[in-house]
Amino acid sequence: MNKDYDIVDDIESLEKAITRIKKAQEKYGKFSQEQVDKIFKAAALAANSARIPLAEMAVEETGMGLVEDKVIKNHYATEYIYNAYKNTKTCGVIEENEAYGIKKIAEPIGVIAAVIPTTNPTSTVIFKTLIALKTRNGIIISPHPRAKKSSIAAAKIILEAAVKAGAPEGIIGWIDSPSLDLTNMVMKESDTILATGGPGMVKAAYSSGKPAIGVGAGNVPAIIDESADILLAVNSIIHSKTFDNGMICASEQSVIVLDSIYEKVKQEFIDRGCYLLNREETEKVRKTIIINGALNSKIVGQKAYTIASLAGIEVPESTKILIGEVESVEPSEEFAHEKLSPVLAMYKANNFDEALEKAEKLIEDGGLGHTSSLYINTHTQTEKIEKFSHRMKTGRILINTPSSQGGIGDLYNFKLAPSLTLGCGSWGGNSVSENVGVKHLLNIKTIAERRENMLWFRVPEKVYIKKGCLPVALEELKTVMDKKRVFIVTDEFLYKNGYTKPITDKLEEMGIMHSTFSNVQPDPTLASAKEGVKAMNSFEPDCIIAIGGGSAMDAGKIMWVMYEHPEIDFMDMAMRFSDIRKRIYTFPKMGEKAYFIAIPTSSGTGSEVTPFAVITDENTGIKYPLADYELMPKMAIVDADLMMKAPKGLTSASGIDAVTHCLEAYASMMATDYTDSLALRALKIIFEYLPRAYEKGAEDSKAREKMANAATMAGMAFANAFLGVCHSMAHKLGAFYHIPHGVANALMIDEVIRFNSSNTPVKMGTFPQYSYPHTLERYAEIADYLNLGGNTNEEKRDNLIKAIDELKEKIGIKKTIKEYGIDEEEFLNKLDELSKQAFDDQCTGANPRYPLIEEIKQMYLRAYYGGEV
Amino acid sequence: MDLLAERKTKTVYKENNRTIKLFIENYSKSNILNEALNQARVEETGLNIPKLLEVTKMENRWALISEYIEGKSLDELMNEHPEKQEEYMNMFIEIQLNILSKKSPMLNNLKEKMKRKIAETDLSDTIKYDLNTRLESMPKHNNVCHGDFNPSNIIIKEDGTAYIIDWAHASQGNSSADAARTYLIFNLEGKKEKAEEYLNKFSEKSGIEKKYIQKWIPIVAAAHLSKASEEEKTFLINWIDVVDYA
Repeated sequence: MNKDYDIVDDIESLEKAITRIKKAQEKYGKFSQEQVDKIFKAAALAANSARIPLAEMAVEETGMGLVEDKVIKNHYATEYIYNAYKNTKTCGVIEENEAYGIKKIAEPIGVIAAVIPTTNPTSTVIFKTLIALKTRNGIIISPHPRAKKSSIAAAKIILEAAVKAGAPEGIIGWIDSPSLDLTNMVMKESDTILATGGPGMVKAAYSSGKPAIGVGAGNVPAIIDESADILLAVNSIIHSKTFDNGMICASEQSVIVLDSIYEKVKQEFIDRGCYLLNREETEKVRKTIIINGALNSKIVGQKAYTIASLAGIEVPESTKILIGEVESVEPSEEFAHEKLSPVLAMYKANNFDEALEKAEKLIEDGGLGHTSSLYINTHTQTEKIEKFSHRMKTGRILINTPSSQGGIGDLYNFKLAPSLTLGCGSWGGNSVSENVGVKHLLNIKTIAERRENMLWFRVPEKVYIKKGCLPVALEELKTVMDKKRVFIVTDEFLYKNGYTKPITDKLEEMGIMHSTFSNVQPDPTLASAKEGVKAMNSFEPDCIIAIGGGSAMDAGKIMWVMYEHPEIDFMDMAMRFSDIRKRIYTFPKMGEKAYFIAIPTSSGTGSEVTPFAVITDENTGIKYPLADYELMPKMAIVDADLMMKAPKGLTSASGIDAVTHCLEAYASMMATDYTDSLALRALKIIFEYLPRAYEKGAEDSKAREKMANAATMAGMAFANAFLGVCHSMAHKLGAFYHIPHGVANALMIDEVIRFNSSNTPVKMGTFPQYSYPHTLERYAEIADYLNLGGNTNEEKRDNLIKAIDELKEKIGIKKTIKEYGIDEEEFLNKLDELSKQAFDDQCTGANPRYPLIEEIKQMYLRAYYGGEV
Repeated sequence: MDLLAERKTKTVYKENNRTIKLFIENYSKSNILNEALNQARVEETGLNIPKLLEVTKMENRWALISEYIEGKSLDELMNEHPEKQEEYMNMFIEIQLNILSKKSPMLNNLKEKMKRKIAETDLSDTIKYDLNTRLESMPKHNNVCHGDFNPSNIIIKEDGTAYIIDWAHASQGNSSADAARTYLIFNLEGKKEKAEEYLNKFSEKSGIEKKYIQKWIPIVAAAHLSKASEEEKTFLINWIDVVDYA
């Protein structure tokens, strides 16, 4: 086959050639994997068949290297590359996972500019064209002028075989008369660059403005450790260093030998046909190999004998390597450079650390990112290997391996990718640090389908419910759990009024020791928690019972954490998260020392079934809201007997708090069918029984018990669906003006319902489950469930607000913030800060409408004045 | 008119405290005007150089007329006072570093000039390819470079003030290139030891690593080829035919 191709020797003809390749690639980019694989195979076979003539041509043309070794390189570039990638998917869908909704599609890059070095003029062309064909790319070869004929010959053979196997005509092109201007143009016009060459060429590639996968010079040091197998080490180095007369960039440039084995190593080199230069000869070779710090072209890829002759030294013709025993690793030492010939520097190191230092410096001088080599006993010297791996700034770190053959991969290690383009990472100014392969010539499209987050429903493992159930529930502390020491956390009021007595009576009856801490304050502080923990530490309980309202239960949870994990930092634990699945902080494991039981004495907080607790630092006034399922009580006991005598104010504030728990959990983006049913049912109960409980108190035990259940159900709903911006604003209102928590929520909830029910929110919340602004419908669902009437969703929403307002009125809650005696001027002065802090509250994240700070401010204002601003 | 020097392309005279550089007939007009322009531009940097007074024609030949600087060249002084070798070398490098610290945005670009010079040689395509690759990878700086900085181009007045003359080869570019060029001049004059002393001292004083200066050597050697004698050519080719990595 001897086809005529248009000659490319100037800018115009090159422009035409690039256009041709682009057109061919457009067609080729649509080929199937099957078609491509057929072409890939045919091209590899054709190049393999021509391995000997191509090797001969390369040696003849460049006057460098050895035919027999170049045959190996050509063979490698066809067979190993084919074998490595024959089954690799490079067209269309290459990866798919239905469950996760992720799919990856491989697309070609386009036209690849391939810059070819003189050292491997045919094998590099074979390698680059084969991986380009496998990835449906077009390729244009920019050969080195010294090796253009052989590089072009290799490209032609592959092109013709590929076309015969069905590839579009002109999918491979080349420059016939290379010049740097044309090379630069090829790089600028291509879609990506595979540049193999010296630092100058790599720099040119990166300056072209196109993405480049460039590789650079190596200056490979090989350390021979005392523990090494000397025979294997020396002969591997000789085998590698003489390969193609030392022209592989991964070949050893220096050998660093530990003092104790130095003479032995030296003798082995001599015995195997290497020539140790004496002082005078070393000087002569120095001046021959390096001129003004640069490598003399005349010695590249020459035999040791030829180089010796150039230096005016007589050595046996069969000499394998010229070895100079030198000391300096500075660039001023000629032997410390990359020599691309069978010339080797040999250093003596007194210890392994010194050897490492030398190797490090040699790499820095001219081989950053490339390859380093170590001969060592891998069984006994793992520490040294680790040290070596840590210190060498090279992409390949080879152990007991001839580096020329080892670095290119798949010959001495079968997991190192075979390649003739070895990335040197950022150290070498490269975009890749591994062996370049097909994956670097593909654009991967990732198709990601929308998927929704896994949700959950988590509650305490035991929830005991019934008026009068407390002593029964506690029985299992003895019978099932065999607890010995119980620590009770409560507040002074409850303690003095005998609320803990039924517990202690029962414990005493069962013969369980107990101790009580009764100094919990409203809005519990770190100081009081610490005080409790101190008592806990000396008592060493195996069970903690927190009895009371939200404050006592929260304080109990915090003491539980501090008791089990004295090492924790509250700042870390309280760090806001935007998704509990991805939070940075890992909460410590709870329950190892003590079983935690929560017993509510009011109906509202829900803390007995929630994974939340709030604690205040009394010194700074900062509140730490903690949230993690580790904080979930193990047992909750809901006994209405404990709530019978609750005063009106507490009944109304905690009851309305439970209402907002339901409303926010229902509107939350994380609401589920499980939390919805709890929220709806709890709301229905509250609307019916809260006014009764408020009015009649202890006289209406049914209303009390219903309210007890509703509050715990609401707790379960928001423990899993979370809350929203109403609680964010209530938290800060409470903190700034000491308005009771439930009342603060009651003051904000109307505004929040109006805010959330907009069908055109400025910003909606971010959560895959929340597909469009539909909170209005959600509120309408609640209104329907409560039989509030209304025809449109808007009407239903308004009826819901009306019903809430009526409920508030019935239980004595005022209408506006102002009515609670908050000074107008002070309120307005602090409003910006209040709004900003509310915005940053942990509860904001689950809200279906993402609030702007200004919007929060408006809600506050309306809540302050009562709708009119 | 006193004859000061005679070169292949020009004759230099002194007349009435003025230096007259009289070029041979048919010498490139653009080169002459370029030299005049260079000199005018460098004058503006404030360096001590003879002021250009006239660009004129004398008997059909182009002439550049500048101030005459009375004094001895540093080269003469170096020869007369071998004991002051070190002092003179320090002074030489200080002057060069002072020039290199100046900017003159309109001066010719050194890299472009080098590229042109490489193209003008009859080196093989292979060597030109490697030289161009090397040149292109060099950092692009914009320091004023004399381009022919050697002791004979420095005149020391009696009061000790130093004047730098002959700005025909000036350009703006990389300091290392100018140092490599000076190193080459010493070597071409057979002053190998002085060359090494210069290179070491320049590297020390400028803080530029020797290897960066050395990177320019093949390029400045190639740029000098067209002016070189046969003997010099062999020497230069040896310096040019090197590779970073083949």
